[in-house]
Amino acid sequence: MLSTLTSLLLILPLLAAGLVALSPERLSKWIATAATLVIFAVSIAFAWSFTGWTDGSIAPRELGLSIMPSLGVNLSLGADAVGAMLILLTTFLMPLAMIGSFTAVKEREREYYAWFLLLQAAMLGVFLARDAIVFYTAYEFTLVPMYFLIAIYGGAERRAASIKFFLYTFFGSVLTLSGVIYIAAQNAAAAGSAWSFDLATLADFASTKLSPTQQYWVFILLMSGFAVKVPLFPVHTWLPLAHDQAPTAGSVILAGTLLKLGTYGIYRIALPAAPVGVVELNQFFAILCIIGIVYTALICWVQHDAKKLIAYSSVSHLGFCMLGLFSLNSIGATGSVMYMINHGLSTGALFLCIGMIYERYHTKDMDQLGGLFKRMPVWSFFMVFFTLASLGLPGLNGFIGEFLCLMGCFTAEPHSVSGYPGVLGPWYALVAGSGLVLAAMYLLIMLGKLVWGPLKEPHGHDHGHGHGHGHDHAAHSDSGLPTDLSAREVGILVPLAVVCLAIGFFPKPMLTAIAPSVDQTLAKYPKLVEQYAHDGSLIKPTTAKDPRVAMAQPSSDK
Amino acid sequence: MIELASLSTAALHLPAILGEGAHAVTIPSAIASPEFAWAGLILLLPAISAALCGLCAAFGVKSKLPGAITAISLIAAFATTLSLYLKMPADAPRVVHLFDWIDFSWKTGGATWTQFLAPFSLYIDSLTLLWMLFVTGLGSLIAIYATEYMEADTGKGYARFFGSVSIFLFAMGSLVMGGNLILLYLGWEGVGLASYLLIGYYYNRPSAVAAAKKAFIMNRIGDLGLALGVFLIWINYGTLEYDGIFKALAHTADPASGASWSAAMIPYCLMLGAFGKSAQIPLFVWLPDAMEGPTPVSALIHAATMVTAGLYLIARTYPLFALEPHALTVVAIVGCSTAFVAATIGMAQYDIKRVMAYSTVSQLGYMFLGLGVGTTFGAVYHVFTHAFFKALLFLCCGAIMHGMAGQLDLRKMSGLRNVKGFGVISWTFLIGCLCLAGFPFTAGFFSKDSIIAQAFASGNPTFVTLGWLALLTAFLTAYYTFRVWFRVCGGPTKYEPGDEMHGHDDHGHDHGNGHGHGHGHDDHGHGHAAHGNHEWHPHGPRLAINGVLLVICLGAVLAAVPAYMAMRGEANWVETMVQHSSAALPSAEHGHGGEHAHHALSFTGIEDVHKATSVVASTVGILGILIAAYFHLLNRSAADKLRQALLSNSLTRWLPLAMENKWYVDEVYHVVFRFPASVLGHVFHFIDKHVIDGFVVNGGARVPLEVGRLFQPLYNGALQGYAATMAGGIALIAAWVFWIWLHGS
Repeated sequence: MLSTLTSLLLILPLLAAGLVALSPERLSKWIATAATLVIFAVSIAFAWSFTGWTDGSIAPRELGLSIMPSLGVNLSLGADAVGAMLILLTTFLMPLAMIGSFTAVKEREREYYAWFLLLQAAMLGVFLARDAIVFYTAYEFTLVPMYFLIAIYGGAERRAASIKFFLYTFFGSVLTLSGVIYIAAQNAAAAGSAWSFDLATLADFASTKLSPTQQYWVFILLMSGFAVKVPLFPVHTWLPLAHDQAPTAGSVILAGTLLKLGTYGIYRIALPAAPVGVVELNQFFAILCIIGIVYTALICWVQHDAKKLIAYSSVSHLGFCMLGLFSLNSIGATGSVMYMINHGLSTGALFLCIGMIYERYHTKDMDQLGGLFKRMPVWSFFMVFFTLASLGLPGLNGFIGEFLCLMGCFTAEPHSVSGYPGVLGPWYALVAGSGLVLAAMYLLIMLGKLVWGPLKEPHGHDHGHGHGHGHDHAAHSDSGLPTDLSAREVGILVPLAVVCLAIGFFPKPMLTAIAPSVDQTLAKYPKLVEQYAHDGSLIKPTTAKDPRVAMAQPSSDK
Repeated sequence: MIELASLSTAALHLPAILGEGAHAVTIPSAIASPEFAWAGLILLLPAISAALCGLCAAFGVKSKLPGAITAISLIAAFATTLSLYLKMPADAPRVVHLFDWIDFSWKTGGATWTQFLAPFSLYIDSLTLLWMLFVTGLGSLIAIYATEYMEADTGKGYARFFGSVSIFLFAMGSLVMGGNLILLYLGWEGVGLASYLLIGYYYNRPSAVAAAKKAFIMNRIGDLGLALGVFLIWINYGTLEYDGIFKALAHTADPASGASWSAAMIPYCLMLGAFGKSAQIPLFVWLPDAMEGPTPVSALIHAATMVTAGLYLIARTYPLFALEPHALTVVAIVGCSTAFVAATIGMAQYDIKRVMAYSTVSQLGYMFLGLGVGTTFGAVYHVFTHAFFKALLFLCCGAIMHGMAGQLDLRKMSGLRNVKGFGVISWTFLIGCLCLAGFPFTAGFFSKDSIIAQAFASGNPTFVTLGWLALLTAFLTAYYTFRVWFRVCGGPTKYEPGDEMHGHDDHGHDHGNGHGHGHGHDDHGHGHAAHGNHEWHPHGPRLAINGVLLVICLGAVLAAVPAYMAMRGEANWVETMVQHSSAALPSAEHGHGGEHAHHALSFTGIEDVHKATSVVASTVGILGILIAAYFHLLNRSAADKLRQALLSNSLTRWLPLAMENKWYVDEVYHVVFRFPASVLGHVFHFIDKHVIDGFVVNGGARVPLEVGRLFQPLYNGALQGYAATMAGGIALIAAWVFWIWLHGS
């Protein structure tokens, strides 16, 4: 049952994409919506019968289809609790993104919805992969639909944005692939030329058999791709541009799920495979996270474009998420996984809100828009609600992840009284914590401009005496939308708001599902961290001087 | 059950500032009491009310229904609190588990499981009950008052207003009743949210939007401190539940051994949170601006309840503060300085609501002083009395505003006591002023004195100095309070209406839109204020407002009853409540009086330091009132002359200017923090766009292309062009930095 549902999760979006591509233009959006809803239902059934909720194990465990027997590549599908949650997030956001596109996309609809379904298939593939090649293929394949979605349906600079998005993340992931292949090759050499790309096998091999120096470099290779995807400072610059230019639904999925491919990759591959590298570079990456938090928060502060502001805030927020993960203790890592889910919900919702404004006013410029509460109280309610979720107000979803991430970082000090050693500590958390204050600043400035204050609308926009009679900018046909949100739009935002509130008050099922998975992932770390705190390095001084020498003879250990 | 509890009571050692021979205080272990699960109604009722108000807003209810819903549910919450108070045995705190909230466990790399537990549970002891009684009680009264006060907004902001008030009561309940620090944090930020929504209620006014933002951000700085404190508590005690912390403290707390740095930092972090929420130096500037909100909100949130959350936090975690010898001293110094500075600003304000706002900051300072010098009873008693009389003062200001078309300038109103319909306001206002000024035998007099007396009684030279400063502040308080009353209610009857912006909530809403299309809008609710000035009449309040004023006035008077009980040798009710909670002190501070036969106030010839303080404090208070009477009732021109005299003398002119301009604290913040941060933001944005993305990324992408072209362009004369471009670029950057500097942010 479970393995059937698992396969369906991958097959259905592919089938639906084909169906949409062949369907008449007019029906495409309905077919896509129906398909995503069905997939959501399947994912609920999947979650219902999923067996990994309580013990952190990967389910189902059946071996899948063998694709390349000579290389040991299997199409094995399965997820642990973290993957399962990200699957639910993806399938939940997708129908909302589809319905949210009804009025925004008027041309080449069929293609649009087909790309989205392909994108969904690819993302689910990443979260379901138990094989490194399947993982990588799906991971890379997400780029293609997203590229077309930005390049065809994006804003004025869509070409530059789509190319940069594609090349930047592609370049990063090639390095990741080389890291994976390196591990696999070492494994094959050790096992007598029998190749395997099973993620668990590779991780087990790499973490136990590779030398510290090898792990160090493997980690750097793996992170090169994942860090771009997350994105970490300073490899984040593709994101604001891509968000700015992507269509609304593209931004929702980009922020909601695509960025999580990076964090999930780190969680699922880098942390288990290269613990020595993780610990060795822990402080370095934590500092990058913290710089990213503060630096992008300050950039958010001076943005004029609401969508860019939220895009930059994603970089800042994911800094928190990664900081929690890199604190290498259960509090931080559990918080980090919570953060992955909740950032997807609240930021996705914020992009939807901004998209609704864009459809009405054809601008996202906060200097041209203001005081919309007067015009659109319903929209304003949701905007305020999701902004509060985004700034981590307790009682809404964002808080728990953020609080735990910071707490994990804070308690991760070498001589922690509490017995959770780590190599970060209070100073890291203190600087990162300033991000809480800065987030309040830039998000409330955004609310202060967009929602509150005297009403300001772009010149030429008619002042709301009955919205029907024509806009004067002839370039845009009237979207036919009411002044305030339509029932369809409210229908998109309400489920998101309900989920945000529910997670805020009842996070326990999620936490108890995440904790065992985190427990397994981190099992190796306390010892390494202690050793690192004691010796100052896990790489022996002789090799540490020039790690490249060690790289030249990788198999010298055995 | 009870025997068991007393066996496992936690014995805490309190520090040396409380005098020699301070013996262990015992905090009984909490008893899990599912039978009190109905106490959850105190949180549930406002939550339901908030949801219903939301529905009213969604369905565009045009009646006063949201107000009625809120008032009824708050009254019900008050009734629940009252019956909880009556039914709960006083032997030990009760813990009521409502539902699981944050709960997960792990055993990473070890054999034992560690649990992170923050259930949605209530910790109920007498401190909780005391706080909740006045929070829900005043909340109900002010909600009733607001049903009339906000009526001009019926069908517009009405539901939003009452929904926010309900959210506030829910959050405040979680803050006070929550059984762990994370739940306290939920309430902590929740009240911040309610405050944000309500300060910014008149969203059409940019100043209100800015004030709301400022309040939230300032509080966030404090919240960060609180969060860090929570982390430290977790590191040190492995639990975030009060009961667990007190138990852990009983095993580890020994002042002689000295705490680790991480335990020693706890009170300072918590303090930062408390100072943010309770508007103390250096985070006090948001509170005066918060007066942009509707007046009932100022009374409820920004005077009586929310701003006392910082006090509650310290009182609740007092055993943690007691571990670190200097922590309470810092609290005392900060509190007393805030009290003094805010009083000096309050003296020079013309907006009566702002005077009251600064006096709130100042009185909160007194309360922190009380906590710092070691009289939790005095501090909490002052919280209690202040809640009544300050709410009363604000509601009076609101009623005046309501009746005078938003007039708040004390120079433009006079003799209101003789205006028809303003009788109740004037005389209840007087009683509130007497309490605030510390007039003998009023509630404020007793509570303030118990704080100042303790400062003198402690014998600690720092505290004695603070005691003198507190006495000086008491004098200033009496002066500025009666400056308001004599100006507004005393003297000949004379008034002019306000600009109708404030009072009626929302005639002003459309003004920002220009006149072109403003007139057709339905929210131009024309009331009396729309008439021309020549036919304008002030209108007195009706039943809801007058009734609530009288009831709260009665409360303010009756708040003195516990002190009278103490004078008759009975137990002071508030003191009993405090002594049965985690804020308990080792020995009743009254005992000290006799021991310090020679104290700082010995010149009065009174041996008992409490009596001496009472005499001195009433003297300075009455002196302040008399001086106010001279300058603002009998000889008003003298006040202006004095100001002119000070301004014309170059040596003294800084004094009135600094006081009128709030000691330039906002400006200092701007220069020290906002401006540099905004420049950094622009610089980072520039770096991001042009250096990281433009130069490194795009440049990197161009490397292959450029390598090919490397040898071509050297001879085409473009070099000069590049040089010119570079110079131009540098000039542009310089101009741009200058532009930012000119424009602030």
